[in-house]
Amino acid sequence: MIEKGKISAFQMGVMMYPGILATAILTVPSITATYAKQDLWIAPIWACPIGLLIVLVFLQLHKHFPGKNIIQYSENILGRLIGKTLGIYYLFFFLHNSGFVIREYAEFIITSVLPKTPIVLVIVGMTLVSAFAVKGGVEVIARSALVFLPLFMFPLLLMGLMVLPEMEPRNMLPVMGNGIKPSLKGAFFPIEWYGDFIYMSFLLPFLKDEKGGKWGMISVMAITLTMVITNLTTIFVFGGSTTELLYPVMNVFRYISLADFFEHVESIVIAVWITGMFVKFSLIYYALVLGVAQWLNVSDYKSFVLPIGFLQVIFSIWVAPNFQQMGQFFTTAGSFYFPSIQIILPLFLLFVALIKKKYKDKSPKSSIVQ
Amino acid sequence: MLFRKNRKRFHEQIQLNTQQEITGQKGLLSSDLDENLHVFHSIYQDCMDVVFRTFLIGGQTRAVLIFIEGLSNLEEVDDNVLAPLASETEGKVRPRELLEKKIHISKMKEVKTVTECIEYISVGFPVLLVEQEMVGLALGLCKWEKRSIEEPQAESVVRGPREGFVEALHVNTSLLRRKIKSPDLKMKSRKIGRYTDTHVVIAYMKGLADQTLIEEVENRLQRIDIDSVLESGYIEELIEDNPYSPFPQLINTERPDVAAANLLEGRVVILVDGTPFVLIAPISFFSLLQSPEDYYQRFLISSAIRLLRFVFMLMSLLLPSLYVAVLTYHQEMVPTALLISMFSSRETVPFPALVEALMMEITFEALREAGVRLPKQVGAAVSIVGALIVGQAAVQAGLVSAPMVIFVAITGVSSFMVPHYTQGIALRMLRFPIMLLAGSLGLLGIMLGVILIVVHLCGLRSFGEPYLSPIAPMKKNELKDSLIRAPWWGMNKRPHLTGEYNPYRQAPGQKPNPGKGDES
Repeated sequence: MIEKGKISAFQMGVMMYPGILATAILTVPSITATYAKQDLWIAPIWACPIGLLIVLVFLQLHKHFPGKNIIQYSENILGRLIGKTLGIYYLFFFLHNSGFVIREYAEFIITSVLPKTPIVLVIVGMTLVSAFAVKGGVEVIARSALVFLPLFMFPLLLMGLMVLPEMEPRNMLPVMGNGIKPSLKGAFFPIEWYGDFIYMSFLLPFLKDEKGGKWGMISVMAITLTMVITNLTTIFVFGGSTTELLYPVMNVFRYISLADFFEHVESIVIAVWITGMFVKFSLIYYALVLGVAQWLNVSDYKSFVLPIGFLQVIFSIWVAPNFQQMGQFFTTAGSFYFPSIQIILPLFLLFVALIKKKYKDKSPKSSIVQ
Repeated sequence: MLFRKNRKRFHEQIQLNTQQEITGQKGLLSSDLDENLHVFHSIYQDCMDVVFRTFLIGGQTRAVLIFIEGLSNLEEVDDNVLAPLASETEGKVRPRELLEKKIHISKMKEVKTVTECIEYISVGFPVLLVEQEMVGLALGLCKWEKRSIEEPQAESVVRGPREGFVEALHVNTSLLRRKIKSPDLKMKSRKIGRYTDTHVVIAYMKGLADQTLIEEVENRLQRIDIDSVLESGYIEELIEDNPYSPFPQLINTERPDVAAANLLEGRVVILVDGTPFVLIAPISFFSLLQSPEDYYQRFLISSAIRLLRFVFMLMSLLLPSLYVAVLTYHQEMVPTALLISMFSSRETVPFPALVEALMMEITFEALREAGVRLPKQVGAAVSIVGALIVGQAAVQAGLVSAPMVIFVAITGVSSFMVPHYTQGIALRMLRFPIMLLAGSLGLLGIMLGVILIVVHLCGLRSFGEPYLSPIAPMKKNELKDSLIRAPWWGMNKRPHLTGEYNPYRQAPGQKPNPGKGDES
């Protein structure tokens, strides 16, 4: 096996939490709000079953092909040629996706704290740090996720308390004033991010225990809960103007003011948010590097780390000419592009695997009959 | 090429050494005393401290006593060996029986080869060779100068035992044995160092320490082939897991109570002759934040102090960088009134914040280092220079700002909050690259630096044990003794890392509840 490390299911859950949320709390609330308006907070709840479904699909696939990830079992399911083709398709998707992820991070850093710094520097810095972690293997990423989880989580969960004086709960009324449709439309965007649970497929083979399902579900629930809390807070604070903000959740932190001294903490929040970003990016980076090594049947993935990091930097520049176009992509093509690869294709794989299994189960019997 | 050349030279050297051994020292003792004497004289040629004392047993049989001046107890030799043997008047008795009858020494070893003789002579045993005897006697009368047991200098406590290890190995083992009386305390000895032949003892608790851990320690010690071991630091560098890490992967301590407590948690203690510092393995990051006193003071206070220590450890790493980052990139984080006063004090300072911080931190490190190496007589001079010139005059001259001096002072104090000097120094060194990152990328740079350090720590192991346990990987039971210290009645289990097959250290339910338990 390429990777010798073992992680616990709890660690996997901990990795997935920032693995989704790190970028989801940036742009998603704003995009969702354009469609869902004051029902912003309901959208994640609609999206949650889809998240659970993805986890279930990958758990089932893991059950049928223990010790393998999506790059490997797509070959088992679809045969060598089509499987390999699908594998490289996925690898390109991961590369594309990691380009988006790191670009989102870099654009955010540039616009909010370091306006004069060249964007490549910000991207390369994060890529190098992640490369260091990816070289350390899955254990190192999992452990650093454990260390950073409290840092990443507490600002998000406590932000509601901190801006209590600024809140206007009436902003959320009328609940479902225009029916169920706006919030359902808005739910498309959280679903795009829930699709990142595809990277769980790369972690499941390394689990020490059998609680992968439990912690996967808990992770989805925790993510949904966090999204609901942050979205509610955003709605309470900004009301209808949420749509006009690029990063509504981060803007909420600007309103924190305690004892006239503890003010303007958004820089600190951004600083701890970077740790979550690091976990997310390392996870994708790791999946990509591991996938490439497995796709090429190479026994060691470490020599791929830096070259692929370089590719990711390039892709992060290529994915979009500017931030507005990237947002445009997320709201239009993206809402079909991501789910179709991250949800529909795995579902299809599972479907084929199940049919194949049924066929296989039957065929020996029929041969006996003959 | 250079390496190959060195290696070749190294092999030649080995051959030389072994040849010498075969011709000169491996041989058995001969029955001819003169021949033996000749061998020893040639070995100890030009060694003025080796004494050959020839005398007659009972006025007839020739005998010689070889010892090194200053390593043997001369009074004892005179009273218990020379006097009774020389005054012997009985006629023809075989010297062997005579020796057994006349010499009353508890520690006496028979030696048969020249090598053995040399070994005993060099640790201070006088060796007695007798005419017509193939066997010599090593007499356990060694006594060399040693320091008395004192309070450890580097790890002082308010409450707790005041004794510390000394340079003599057998004193140190006896200190350990006095703490742990159980025969399960095992000590295995081996010798390392071609020239120094230093005794290295591996101590562990049988049944508590993991067997594979002991084997691993022994294997790593086995591999060492070095010409000298003068301090346990030599050993530490040769058995570490990651030699390039700035973080120590073994603790060193001068305190027998610390060593004993670690033995009882299933760790291995390595004692080295000639140094009061013993090594403890495996350790985790959090054992470096523990002071022995945590376990002797009341647990609430200890927990509070541990948290304080943790916070200040982070400050010693990050405070100057935060100052630089905030002043350069994130001025909005500072409340306006404070910002105004900070900038007004910086008005005359000609340097950017980064240069100012680097300058001050490096000066501080220099002052600290000078303070350590200083002869006591000039101590006052450095503190005057440090406090007045750097602190006061530099601010007045407008070279540095007053807030900067405050931050440097806080950083300096906080870096000494870390109870283990080796870790404190690692964090102090790491803050310089982080300062540079802060100067170039602000808070983002600091976070990237912190992430790098955390990733490094996550991958680091100490004798196979993850360095960041029990936080990552998470072990719920051991969290009781990491950032906080649970009361003794709450810590029924030993740490998981070593206490695999003897998990409970005490009976459960010992929480004191007077007046509720006994109904009688």
